[in-house]
Amino acid sequence: MGSGHAEPAHPSHLQHHFVTSEQQFDAAKMGMWLFLVTEILLFSGMFVAYTVYRVWHPEVFQAASKLLDWRLGGFNTLVLLASSLTVAMAIHFAQKDNRKMLITNLVITVLLAGVFMVVKYFEYTSKFEHGIFPGAHYASHDLEMLYAPQFFSIYFIMTGIHGVHVLVGMFLMSWLVFRAMRGHFSSSWYTPVELTGLYWHIVDIIWIFLFPLMYLI
Amino acid sequence: MAHAHAANHGHHIIPLKLLLSVFGGLVFLTIFTVLTAEFVDLGPFNIVLAIVIAIMKAGLVVTFFMGLKWDNRVNALIFAVGCIFVIVFLTFTIFDTAFRGDIGNVGKQTIEEERRALEGVDEAAPPAAH
Repeated sequence: MGSGHAEPAHPSHLQHHFVTSEQQFDAAKMGMWLFLVTEILLFSGMFVAYTVYRVWHPEVFQAASKLLDWRLGGFNTLVLLASSLTVAMAIHFAQKDNRKMLITNLVITVLLAGVFMVVKYFEYTSKFEHGIFPGAHYASHDLEMLYAPQFFSIYFIMTGIHGVHVLVGMFLMSWLVFRAMRGHFSSSWYTPVELTGLYWHIVDIIWIFLFPLMYLI
Repeated sequence: MAHAHAANHGHHIIPLKLLLSVFGGLVFLTIFTVLTAEFVDLGPFNIVLAIVIAIMKAGLVVTFFMGLKWDNRVNALIFAVGCIFVIVFLTFTIFDTAFRGDIGNVGKQTIEEERRALEGVDEAAPPAAH
């Protein structure tokens, strides 16, 4: 990155309100963690709704969750876990100045996220075919228990908002691939990769909780 | 952590082997949670076990993949405080919703009126049960 004059003292990415690159990186990461806590609280609102209804109607929730295919949910869990691995590896390679592997791992992460969304697409359309729609449109003959619609409303909203987060992550990581190809990242500055990686891990963690609560129990 | 060049001032690099080991652990826990949920009946403990395993998986992701183990302590504090607030949120909501109706009389009559009505019917009748 050096051009011959005072490069370590003032690298081009260092903004003027920070003293060192290190401080700037730490501030960026801390800001990201603060944002991630708001994301966790966002999903916790929905987890609380799930818990309230589950405590009120445990047998309905148990019966309704059997209508969700745990093999698809389990497969999606493995897909997202693998995508967390590849995004962590992408950061590792950014830190090692290995641009090729950085890009490769980011691309694989996006592809895995795409696989997740495709599976969710098939899950949703299968539900619609059986008349299972969110909220007032619930029209299933497979499960006509009182409060079954509540389970599926919560299912659609939670996986839907999670799905939106996956799509946002796919867009962000595609943008990172674009930037990486243009040589924007190096071991001295890879902050957007780091921050997007952190975001992606939270998306994975939300699913780690969603999967057992919706599909398994 | 080389000092010879400007790059990577002390950023901890997580070794690939560790990342792969953590991934292996996560896959194992996923398989374990599916097997215990689908094929083992522990009654109400199925839910507890599933949540405990999920917390372990999330812990692995946060500690290793997200690097909190080697990061500035303030980030771990921020995350921990966030989790505490989630628990507060959940606990106090359940304190309300899970115990509704336990204070039984929510009818239109006052307690006095209801007592007098019951005594009118049968002097020896026990108080209304919920």
